[in-house]
Amino acid sequence: MRIITYFPMKVITYFLCWAALASAADTDSTATAKPAQTTTTQKHWAYEPVKRPDVPQVQQKEWARTPIDGFILARLEAKNLQPSADADRATFIRRATLDVWGVIPTPEQVKAFVEDKSPDAYEKLVDRLLASPHYGERQARRWLDLARYADSTGFENDQTRPAMWRYRDYVINAFNQDKPYDQFIKEQLAGDEIAPGNQDVMVATGFLLNYPDNHNSRDLIDRKYQITTDITDTVGAVFLAQTVQCARCHNHKFDKISQKEYFQLQAFFANLAEVNNIPARIGPQETEFRKQRSAYQEATKETRAEMKAIVDSIREEGTKYYHERYLTDSRESIFKPKDQWTALDRWVNHRVDMVTSDDSVAAYLYVAGQDKNSPEYRPEYAPKFKRYEELRQQLAKFDKLKPESGTDTYAAMTELGHPDAPPTYVFFGGNHDRPLDEVQPGFPAAIAGGEQPVITPTATSSGRRTALANWIASARNPLTARVFVNRVWAQYFGRGIVSTVSDFGKMGDKPTNPELLDYLADQFVNNGWSPKKLHRAILLSSVYRQSSDYREDVNQADPENKLLAVFPLVRLDAEEIRDSTLAAAGKLDTDTVGGPSVFPPAPKGLDAGNKWQVSKDPKDFNRRSLYVFTRRSVPYPMLESFDMASPQEVHSKRDVTTTPLQALTLYNDQLTFEWSQDLAGRLIREAGNDEFARIDRLYQILFARNPTQQEKNTLLAYLDNHEKIVQTQVPNKDVPLPRGVDVSGISNPLRESAFVDLVHTVLNSNDFAYRF
Amino acid sequence: MSKKLSRRQLFVNTAAGFGGAATLSMLLPGGGLLSTPALAAEFTDPLAPKQPHFPAKVKSVVWLHQFGAPSSLDLYDYKPELIKRSGEDVPASFLKGIKTSTQGGLGKLITFGRQWKQYGQSGSWFSDLVPNIAQHADEIAFIKASTTIGATHDISVLKLNTGDLRPGRPSLGAWITYALGSANRALPAYVVLYSGKREPPAGSVNWSSGFLPAIYQGTAFRPGPNPILDLAPPDGLKAGQRDDLDLLNRLNQLSAARHPENTEFLARLNSYELAYRMESAAPEAVDLTKESDAVRDQYGLNEDITHDYGTAILRARRLVERGVRFVHIVSGPIDGAGRGEDRNWDAHENLPLNHSLNAKAVDKPIAALLTDLKSRGLLDSTLIVWTCEFGRTPWGQSGDGRDHNPWGYTQWLAGGGVKAGYTYGETDELGVQSIGKAVDTYDLHATVLQLLGLDHLKVTFQNHGRSERPTVVYGDVLKEVLA
Repeated sequence: MRIITYFPMKVITYFLCWAALASAADTDSTATAKPAQTTTTQKHWAYEPVKRPDVPQVQQKEWARTPIDGFILARLEAKNLQPSADADRATFIRRATLDVWGVIPTPEQVKAFVEDKSPDAYEKLVDRLLASPHYGERQARRWLDLARYADSTGFENDQTRPAMWRYRDYVINAFNQDKPYDQFIKEQLAGDEIAPGNQDVMVATGFLLNYPDNHNSRDLIDRKYQITTDITDTVGAVFLAQTVQCARCHNHKFDKISQKEYFQLQAFFANLAEVNNIPARIGPQETEFRKQRSAYQEATKETRAEMKAIVDSIREEGTKYYHERYLTDSRESIFKPKDQWTALDRWVNHRVDMVTSDDSVAAYLYVAGQDKNSPEYRPEYAPKFKRYEELRQQLAKFDKLKPESGTDTYAAMTELGHPDAPPTYVFFGGNHDRPLDEVQPGFPAAIAGGEQPVITPTATSSGRRTALANWIASARNPLTARVFVNRVWAQYFGRGIVSTVSDFGKMGDKPTNPELLDYLADQFVNNGWSPKKLHRAILLSSVYRQSSDYREDVNQADPENKLLAVFPLVRLDAEEIRDSTLAAAGKLDTDTVGGPSVFPPAPKGLDAGNKWQVSKDPKDFNRRSLYVFTRRSVPYPMLESFDMASPQEVHSKRDVTTTPLQALTLYNDQLTFEWSQDLAGRLIREAGNDEFARIDRLYQILFARNPTQQEKNTLLAYLDNHEKIVQTQVPNKDVPLPRGVDVSGISNPLRESAFVDLVHTVLNSNDFAYRF
Repeated sequence: MSKKLSRRQLFVNTAAGFGGAATLSMLLPGGGLLSTPALAAEFTDPLAPKQPHFPAKVKSVVWLHQFGAPSSLDLYDYKPELIKRSGEDVPASFLKGIKTSTQGGLGKLITFGRQWKQYGQSGSWFSDLVPNIAQHADEIAFIKASTTIGATHDISVLKLNTGDLRPGRPSLGAWITYALGSANRALPAYVVLYSGKREPPAGSVNWSSGFLPAIYQGTAFRPGPNPILDLAPPDGLKAGQRDDLDLLNRLNQLSAARHPENTEFLARLNSYELAYRMESAAPEAVDLTKESDAVRDQYGLNEDITHDYGTAILRARRLVERGVRFVHIVSGPIDGAGRGEDRNWDAHENLPLNHSLNAKAVDKPIAALLTDLKSRGLLDSTLIVWTCEFGRTPWGQSGDGRDHNPWGYTQWLAGGGVKAGYTYGETDELGVQSIGKAVDTYDLHATVLQLLGLDHLKVTFQNHGRSERPTVVYGDVLKEVLA
């Protein structure tokens, strides 16, 4: 029942490209030198249409509360395995609250559910959980993993993308509004074509825009190719669970996707460009942002005006100098008169405009006004350079007045108002310097079964992505619904019915229960692609309600627990650990949903300069982890330790690794220690001075259960001993005390300090870090 | 009796015995119980030492990334023809097949009056910028036909470390850690050091584990006595830490006993003990006060210009001594090497000043490392790699700078298994492009893996249904530089 499988040092080797395939025992023997043309008569299971299987007949009808259970139980009965008994209610509500909200429940919520005698107690609980905005927050985080979401571009300069949080909020809201998944897909792939000018839909294209980018790139032809590649591979993995990227350099070695078909997929995105300065609807956030910006602008008005005047005086030559930094083929586009622009030239020039600022133009002065060895040097520019430098330094003094986050614009991917797209070619070996035949947008034949896109250009866009979105978000597509329901299933049970959640190809794992997968997919589509109905069905199933208690018979018969006779326990993920600790401390901000990302304090020693400037407002420190700024080059250390998603590419599955660095984070970090002090204070407030009562309360808060007598004895013995250690080793006045209580009321600071350490230690225990 | 039942029995016994830390120690690697084969097989410690494919030449790698891209033409790649033609235009024939920038004009060929000399038995050429490294001419194998992709640092640095132009692939150090595990569990197996005032730009993507589990990523060692974030407990906690851990062990053993099927519980229990050892082992490993004055002086710790880089290099030697597999050192910017500010090797203008400072900062410490490792008998089991994201053009930029050159530049290897005093490959007579078989980043990675006893084709990991390896679909071991 391990949660992550390592594949150390496989004996077999695949020569993936340009070499004969070294076929091994567990590879498909049909793969030969030209695998894309493999002719197996039987269609790959995932490309078959979704069937509507009958719910199997089972003997223990009373256990099978829902149709899902029938599919599970049938396989258990075939193996002579009993399902596990229901988990107790307290365990169940902790499990469900963590799974649906990503945070532990309060003792009051636990008590209310445990004591609810009504016949529909579970339904009421599940509906309450699904109706909360925390459901959307939790589901959004999972989706953002797939969308490689970040608040910055990555690479060396790693610029902030100040408006990306609007996409994050779009995803939260989509789940909370139970936006049908087919619509969710269409908006993310083609929101700008479906509803041009509609901010709420346009921001959905942030899905496409989340690619890592380097504004500093001098090779824009290559940059465009890298961006298109990222988008194509992401779309293939996220919606279709296809490893299309394997077909970029050559025909896919295992799946029926040819290199030509790969570039036909790229062609859907050929005309796509980032637009990051669209005026946003004005709400409180925008008003506040403008207020702060006005203050900055007012204070710096004259400085900036003088700087602009200097730049204006050299703008033409400065711009030309700046443009010369680009490589040969990029320069061809940049220096071409606008009336001769092709669609590709248009893209390149839009890109150059986007990344060029007055400062990039002024960089010319560093050479022309300072560097006497440069051919550009002109003595008359020396004063300009000198003055510009003075002004720049003067301006920097006002940086603290700048709004620290927020924006009054939004970002989207669009086609810049033009329906004509640059041509797409097959590239030999994936090398964009070696174009072969031109291709048109098209679907991989093996998946689409011959269906080809019907593309209707609009006045302002090629219409290509709408055609793609319509095909992906269609009940006819054999992959889309299966892939999504499988991802949701994996969220609850630790592994998908297809365990390779982003690979439904031949090299991926086969479904452990194909009928259940099809049942869920079919129901999902018939329920109007409603994610909430899918979640509800799983949450109310008997299989989800089972206890996770160890069973020797299951461990023998099904050691990987593929049949789910026991509920699989799992370590909390990075966000759950931080959010639940904050919640236990009584500090988690559960009221604020959405808004610009925040910068909580990082451990001492992280010197990321302006890439991590801690938020001024301490309220920001207690926001849910979902709102912590995702800086591609500076992952937030506390979350990074616990296997947070990497935003560099599609992140399909949270690993569970166990490392000493995690122990250092949870035990040594200043914040987690302070939260322990807060939690200790909360226990004193809520349970008074009786130490048994406090320990009960501690266990109720963290584990949704009471401690056993053995645990109580252990803790009390610790307290007696630890008080002495504190006394002998720490000067009395410095002992850390519980926070949030009146210190003057503390009669024995040593004992209370030992209690803080007790709380801190229990917070580090396995029982907290896991959900059972 | 199945091994699972016996495991369960073990836990029941352990929990019932309730011996706290005393019992726990028996569960730790090296303890009697875990060395029982059946149990060891089940307790899948992902950092357990693993056997290489064939006998390794070296145990550790020191990866000296010269950030910003030094000019090979001013350090190692002696070009009499360039000196002769200095001031002339670049003949078009040399530019065939490459794309260039023209900012600052595609300048005239330029040289800066360097003194060049041959050193050692090998007669390898060195300029006057690296007089100390030059003393090791006969220990170095040069690769003078290095090539890469990219016109900007960010993508080429990424390619140097991970093989790809887009972030997401594991770095070389992560692959090595994955393949070989850790030789000292009280320290991270893959450590990143850097000099200069700031963390290296682009950050952890360059030492990321990519699609490998995060346990294999590099751990950045920061300046100061506690090199790992959160290494030291808050002041108020130090006194009772051992007592806390004993309590934690007792509590965790209760949960581990309830779930014998879950190996993570055991691993987690173990991880706190490892962290506890790391709290003292890591500061000790970087404590340079333990070094003699002579050694500190040798590494340049007593001079401003070499202090930061020398500190990183001396730390690296101590880490190598303690079994760290991969030490990844990023050279940082040097005060005064840019336009009135600090700058790394990226000399788009005023290369003479820039390179004199940057070279000075690294030359003495690197030479000291080679000398010191040798005298300690460690050079034979360590691989030193001088590497950079690309080189610089033979033509000038902005007058006295040089632009980026990804088409032909020099890197070098030294240490175990390396054909010392050898030069592989060359660039054309002006130093624009590699001629003959060029050496890509993949080839360099394959060669490093080879020296560690790893066949780069056989280090694989399943990702999205694809069997991935460090060299993607490329990579040839550069047999010519192997002894």
